[in-house]
Amino acid sequence: MTTSRALDQFLASVEKRAFKIAQLGLRNDDDALDAVQDSMMKLVQSYASRAVEEWRPLFYRILANRIRDMQRRRTVRGRIMAWLPVRDAEDDDESDPIAQAPSHDAGPARRLELDEAIGVLETAVIELPPRQQQAFLLRNFEGLDVAETASAMGCSEGSVKTHYFRALESLRAKLGDVFEGLK
Amino acid sequence: MTTEFEKRSQEVLEESAGRLDGRTRSRLTQARHAALAELEHPARNWWRSYVPAGAAAAVAVLAVVLWSGQSNPMKAPQAANSVEDLELLADAEAPDFADDGEDPEFYEWAVGEVES
Repeated sequence: MTTSRALDQFLASVEKRAFKIAQLGLRNDDDALDAVQDSMMKLVQSYASRAVEEWRPLFYRILANRIRDMQRRRTVRGRIMAWLPVRDAEDDDESDPIAQAPSHDAGPARRLELDEAIGVLETAVIELPPRQQQAFLLRNFEGLDVAETASAMGCSEGSVKTHYFRALESLRAKLGDVFEGLK
Repeated sequence: MTTEFEKRSQEVLEESAGRLDGRTRSRLTQARHAALAELEHPARNWWRSYVPAGAAAAVAVLAVVLWSGQSNPMKAPQAANSVEDLELLADAEAPDFADDGEDPEFYEWAVGEVES
């Protein structure tokens, strides 16, 4: 298999989860898309020649750094914008038919349960401290093992275990009831 | 060992990722293709690394051209003319303007101006 084809398959396999991770970290769809695109570009430009098994932790490390940079920049921008008049939220995509297209089929009852679970879980994940959020999303959602998560987060395996454990405790406290009702 | 809670969390997040709208999925595909295009045409952007150096060189050349263009035409001819005038007035073999009798005060004033 050529490198280009292997990279295409790899990026296609991670792009949706990468977007969700960036979206939860940045709370903004456009910023999340920018972060994922930048990370894809950086992986291809700098690490395409690495072994395929290394791509996933490398990609998520790039993404984690990108998210952190954007969060910091946003904090600085927020301080500056606090001095300026408030702008209305952008609503450019309101009439975009592609954006309105339904993307997934499910039974109405099941869909309602999942809607509630998604809303509550994502809100709880957003409220986690950044490192716990990272550890939880990389371990639980992306399925990286402890070593890969440590590599992606740039910390020790012990730190990953601690962050992940605390994240689970916090989420379990907030979501236990919601998940019990989920079939 | 994965707990029931972890399994449920993963399912819910997978469900959420699967519900991404058409616009987002389309933009993710575009992002992937743009990244892969970078792999297939790496030489296309080689010149970009030279842009900062080129821009700095262009600014330096422009500054030199503007500086020299501003200073030479004004100052050099003036300086040359002053030296010529002084030599002419000081030269004993030169025509004696004072003898023309037309305006001796003017020539006295002119010599005074040059000397000062």
